Amino acid sequence: MELAFYLSGLVAVLATLGVISNHNPVHGVLYLVVSLLAVAMVFFALGAPFAGALEIIVYAGAIMVLFVFVVMMLNLGQAAVAQERIWLQPATWLGPSLLATVLLVTLIGTLWRGDAGMLVQGDVLSAKQVGMILFGPWLLVVELGALLLLAALVTASHVGRQRLQAPGSETDKEAP
Amino acid sequence: MPFAALVAYLPMILVAATAVAVMLGIAWRREHTVTVAASVLGLVLALIAQAFAWRVIPVQTPLLSFDGLAVLAGLLILASTLVCAILSHAYLESFHGAREEFYVLLLCAAAGGLVLAASRHLASLFVGLELLSMPLYGMLAYAFHEQRSLEAGIKYLVLSAAASAFLLFGMALLYAQTGELRIGLLMAGLNDGLGLWGLAGIGLLLVGLGFKLSVVPFHLWTPDVYEGGPGPATTFLATASKVAVFALLLRLMLSAPVVQGDWLRSVLTGLALASMLVGNLLALTQSNLKRILGYSSIAHFGYLLIALVVADGLAAETTGVYLITYVLSTLAAFGVVILVSSTTGGEDVAALHYYRGLFWRRPFLTAVLTVAMLSLAGIPATVGFIGKFYLIALGVEAQRWWLVGGIILGSAIGLYYYLRVTITLFLVEPGMRRRDASDDWGVRAGGVVVLAVAVLVILLGLYPSPMIELARVLGGIAIR
Repeated sequence: MELAFYLSGLVAVLATLGVISNHNPVHGVLYLVVSLLAVAMVFFALGAPFAGALEIIVYAGAIMVLFVFVVMMLNLGQAAVAQERIWLQPATWLGPSLLATVLLVTLIGTLWRGDAGMLVQGDVLSAKQVGMILFGPWLLVVELGALLLLAALVTASHVGRQRLQAPGSETDKEAP
Repeated sequence: MPFAALVAYLPMILVAATAVAVMLGIAWRREHTVTVAASVLGLVLALIAQAFAWRVIPVQTPLLSFDGLAVLAGLLILASTLVCAILSHAYLESFHGAREEFYVLLLCAAAGGLVLAASRHLASLFVGLELLSMPLYGMLAYAFHEQRSLEAGIKYLVLSAAASAFLLFGMALLYAQTGELRIGLLMAGLNDGLGLWGLAGIGLLLVGLGFKLSVVPFHLWTPDVYEGGPGPATTFLATASKVAVFALLLRLMLSAPVVQGDWLRSVLTGLALASMLVGNLLALTQSNLKRILGYSSIAHFGYLLIALVVADGLAAETTGVYLITYVLSTLAAFGVVILVSSTTGGEDVAALHYYRGLFWRRPFLTAVLTVAMLSLAGIPATVGFIGKFYLIALGVEAQRWWLVGGIILGSAIGLYYYLRVTITLFLVEPGMRRRDASDDWGVRAGGVVVLAVAVLVILLGLYPSPMIELARVLGGIAIR
């Protein structure tokens, strides 16, 4: 299982390098998804399947949803298809799929050898145990997390407002 | 939950509940004055609850440690948040656009500060620090139609996120070294030998927290953010936020006799000297009051780092006294800037030439700013002198001559620009562009608070024993 841990870690590092070295943000996102999956695999290898599953659902899932939204919002036409064809060069998808293949092989190899609960060391932390800690002695952190999200939401909704139109101020002229 | 723990938690619960109540109130109806009244009421109740919490300390919970240091820092955080809230009322009255959200953010940040100052676990440390910083992004970028405010918010967001990444990586390395997240046990675990990972972890932790305190190599964001951010947000950043982070840093240092190796002392000494000198020297050429105050806060936290270098019995008391003096003086200075800026809806009025001859139009407001400047410079008969006195006494007692020399040199340089601001207030030059506080500033809540703070600066400067007593009683820290 140690091999799985290190292999996934390596994939995560390489994929993250791919994210930050890519000129095209959409291609970068492809690498990001692989990177997140690799981190999830690391969590599985460390015996934290709950954190691994959350990583896939929340991060990879949310990123994928964003991805879909971006595609939806673009007005697709013939030009877009041609653009897609240009974008879909092997150089674009080869890297992420290669890394993803490594991850897949690691996963299959792990499952092949039997028990998915095999770890680097330590015990498997089930979702129940995580919940017991999180909503027992660590309840404070959950509540503070809620407050943090509230502050982030208020900030985003305030800053995301339309440009203000105040009578007599110079913003009047700039308003569209 | 035992009763004592509930009492100790009460200030946080009250602040958080006020934040939620204010948010719900905004969703129902937008009333600026009612929102301010609700926030102020919540903060006053939290202050009273904090006084009750004083009676039950020390209380230890798995994540937080309510001891003297936490209660003292909590009092300072709540008091400066209260002053910020009242000053925001004056400031945001002329603001075009939604005003009420500011108070939600302010209250959330105050709750984060309370948690941070009391945390004894790396999880609560990180969540508290984020809860303190996250609303500040919104507060600094609150007047986002002003380019400078937006710039300040983005700058703080990016750099603060980078600092958080350093902090998290440091925590991960420390965990790798000791296998412990509770601060006391973690530091005890480092006893057996720091190791490579422990050394790197402590270093990264220092970088992260040094950024929040704007200690010198990590200070580059400070003047721009101070200048660009709306007055009340900057005030909160300069007072409550720094108090919380410093309280945490002191707790880390005091609970870690091991880490008090010579190398760490040398690093802290270097940071302190650099902050004192660079902060004061860079302030000399500034012509903007908010930038001057930004550099001045860098220098002040350079002075205060002495308490961390020495870190013995007197250090906690010194920190308490110095933080009280710093918070009072800074609140008075920023209060005047906010009141003068509050008549215009646009960018803050902070360039020094606006303040020329302010004395001839607003003598009392000028007196407040003069007192604040003298106190920041550490002139006797103001509260700033008591703080400086304590620091020098601490340095001399521990025979840290370099640091004592640094304070003296820094104060001498600082005197120049503090007095330059003061002199500007009394100059008369006809035909200058003038900005002014509104006519009835003195009877408004913001004006009353600023006057009260200034009176406190003088009173505690002449009769400091209540403040010293408070710092002595509350400066203690329960280790582990």
